[in-house]
Amino acid sequence: MGGDTLQSAPWETFVVCVLLLVAPAVASPRHTRPWWVVALVVTLGTALFTADGRLAYVAVAAGAVLHAWNAAPRSVTGAAVLSISAALSVAVAAAIGQGALTVAFVISCLAIALRSGLLPAHVGAASLCERVPLVQTEQLSSMIALVFVHLRFVDHHEGAAALGPWLVAYGAGAAIVAALLTIVQRDLRGFYRGTTSMHAGMLLAALGTASLGNFGAALLVAVSMGLALGGLGMMITSLEERVGAVGFAGPGGRGVTFPRLAVLFAFFGAAGVGMPGTSSFVADDLLLHTLWMASPTATVTVILSSALVAVATLITISKVFLGRATPSLAPDLGIRERLVAVALVVLLVTLGVVPGILLYPADAFLSGVPGG
Amino acid sequence: MIDTVHLGLALAIIGPILGSLVVGLTIVLGDSYPKESLATRVVGAGLALSIIGGLLVLASLWGLWGAPVQGDVEFGDWLRIGDYVIPLVLLVDALSVTIALFAAVLTSLVVRFSRTYLHKEPGFVRFFGLLGVFATGTQLVAFSGALELFFAGWEMIGIASALFIGYFHERDEPIRSSIRAFSTYRFADAGLLIATVTTFELLGSARFSALFTANTLPAVESTVLALMFLLSAMGKSAQLPFSSWLPRAMEGPTPSSALFYGAVSIHAGLFLLLRVWPIFAVSPVARAAGVAVGLATAIYAASAARVHSDAKGALAHATLTQVGLILAEICMGWTTLALTHLVCHAMLRLGQFLKAPNTLHETHRVGHHAYGPSWLERVSPHLAARVYAASLHRLRLDDRIDAAFAPILALAKGLDSTDRWLRRVVSLDRPAS
Repeated sequence: MGGDTLQSAPWETFVVCVLLLVAPAVASPRHTRPWWVVALVVTLGTALFTADGRLAYVAVAAGAVLHAWNAAPRSVTGAAVLSISAALSVAVAAAIGQGALTVAFVISCLAIALRSGLLPAHVGAASLCERVPLVQTEQLSSMIALVFVHLRFVDHHEGAAALGPWLVAYGAGAAIVAALLTIVQRDLRGFYRGTTSMHAGMLLAALGTASLGNFGAALLVAVSMGLALGGLGMMITSLEERVGAVGFAGPGGRGVTFPRLAVLFAFFGAAGVGMPGTSSFVADDLLLHTLWMASPTATVTVILSSALVAVATLITISKVFLGRATPSLAPDLGIRERLVAVALVVLLVTLGVVPGILLYPADAFLSGVPGG
Repeated sequence: MIDTVHLGLALAIIGPILGSLVVGLTIVLGDSYPKESLATRVVGAGLALSIIGGLLVLASLWGLWGAPVQGDVEFGDWLRIGDYVIPLVLLVDALSVTIALFAAVLTSLVVRFSRTYLHKEPGFVRFFGLLGVFATGTQLVAFSGALELFFAGWEMIGIASALFIGYFHERDEPIRSSIRAFSTYRFADAGLLIATVTTFELLGSARFSALFTANTLPAVESTVLALMFLLSAMGKSAQLPFSSWLPRAMEGPTPSSALFYGAVSIHAGLFLLLRVWPIFAVSPVARAAGVAVGLATAIYAASAARVHSDAKGALAHATLTQVGLILAEICMGWTTLALTHLVCHAMLRLGQFLKAPNTLHETHRVGHHAYGPSWLERVSPHLAARVYAASLHRLRLDDRIDAAFAPILALAKGLDSTDRWLRRVVSLDRPAS
């Protein structure tokens, strides 16, 4: 593996993160301030490109604070949890400085759990999903950067390897509980909350396998999760801007009124549960193989979780978009919304068809000496 | 330089999905909804490419241009990381080419039929877009040389199937049926996923060719592996206890019912078993289970078919009867007979399903035939009445499955209540007005 190929891993992750960050801003420019986006891009760049673990975690913390600032007017809980995550990231930086890598690893896992919505630390992410799904979409970009930094700087030692099987078991358990929660939700935001938590469980399990040496797989799981959930969050925001909050008890039939929105929602929903042709399919397959090495029980649990969420996704699509047409004066997706959604689709499909473009450099880069 | 077999395989698989992609992108990026003519031409062209590709592969198999090609055809690696490899490998043999060409031709016939049959239906474009997804799924299933690729195709068929069942989504029943069919698929697919992972771990590769070394596995491991494959085949081919989704699937438009539940999709589980036969060959327990399931399904479906009052429902159960018999044939080791039975049965049912809307007219033309009492009624009227009731209610399979899942749903609702309480206690937000 050449040095140039190795160095492409942060760049590719950077592109994915920036796309996820900028997509909502392009789709709904009135919600976003340019300086805020620029500041976040700077934090992302710093976190991904610096060779100093402490600086990377401080940059991640700064990003979390910026997201918290954005979330605060509508979700105090979300802002508070993002701030706690920022504080934890600073603590990781301090622990790295002290050479206490096992402590850094544990705290970093906690920060990721808070950001991704892992049960039962999902209160903040749940509040964001329910109150400001667009902010949840944006903060997924920084979460991917956090996972990258975690894999690069605090996941290469015996302490992490010893904790890996525990993370796998806990992640799989959290995923199945979240999947069960998802299947009984009664509104669109509840579905988004539940599916986010299920993915958080899978992500933690993937981090557990990373501790055992499967770095690229964990990053691909994080990226696929970010892209699929980011797309879903954008579609939910677009729909609710047109028709208000969507419950399952009310009339459905919005697919006739908003066919493009329905098609894209279905695509991102299916991508979230491992649709063939998207990066999630490869990520799930890779995750299952790496999980099997740690725990066959966890593998079966994750497979069942994904099946449950797939059914919940179809139920959601049918309740929201299928049924007798509900008239609406609001237009279907605008050109800006369509373009950013298609960009996410292209990225999901590209990483699904040729996953090696991210996976090979990422695995080689992250498997190396921390910060090297 | 791309050789004939590589070109043929690529065309066969990519052709149909290209049509769907064009239709999908036209919906998402276009200013207006695509016209019927565009959808039929684009998807039809994709299917034509697929048939041409299949014929090229057939020519390569027969050695019309150079040496005959048989076995794994490599396209590189989809993924290679450490010891783990997902090979982009396709398998060319008599079985794969037969099934692939057969499926592509039948799908093309259904495209032609549907152009007229579904004219001016609101979901016309959606129907054709999904047909492309389905066709690519079947080609992937037919040609895949490794379980990962097979699973990709298998999932595409499942997704398309669920969306076809819910085609007339203005009514509640098709949507409910679609969700039930998809749920059954996904839970049975868990068996295939587990089998895929297990095959890789036990045999070092998930290629079908690796299964020929299955005789080196301990009996317990080979049996568990074979049972996982059997589970996924039972879900896809609606074998007991997963049979209840099939009559519900008749809610979809007639052309898709014909293609999926008469001809192609319903036989996909059987094709899987033919493909993984080496693992069944060394597992008598799984073979016995397959025979039992197949025969039980055949008896159940034959009884249900005789008391069904709607044409498509009766046809669905008649199909299931034959599928059960084919499953039993495969598990008894009569694989050539099973393949012949499968192909002939699929052609017969496609025609019958496509003619189903004319059944009322035919019945009026031919007239009703009065049947006398059956042998069972003569032997025991009481038993005959019980069998009749059980067949009419289809053994109450739906109710039994719902009852089995009720505790899980109750658990989920309990968890949801706890979760809502927890978030309410911890939340700093004011309740939404």
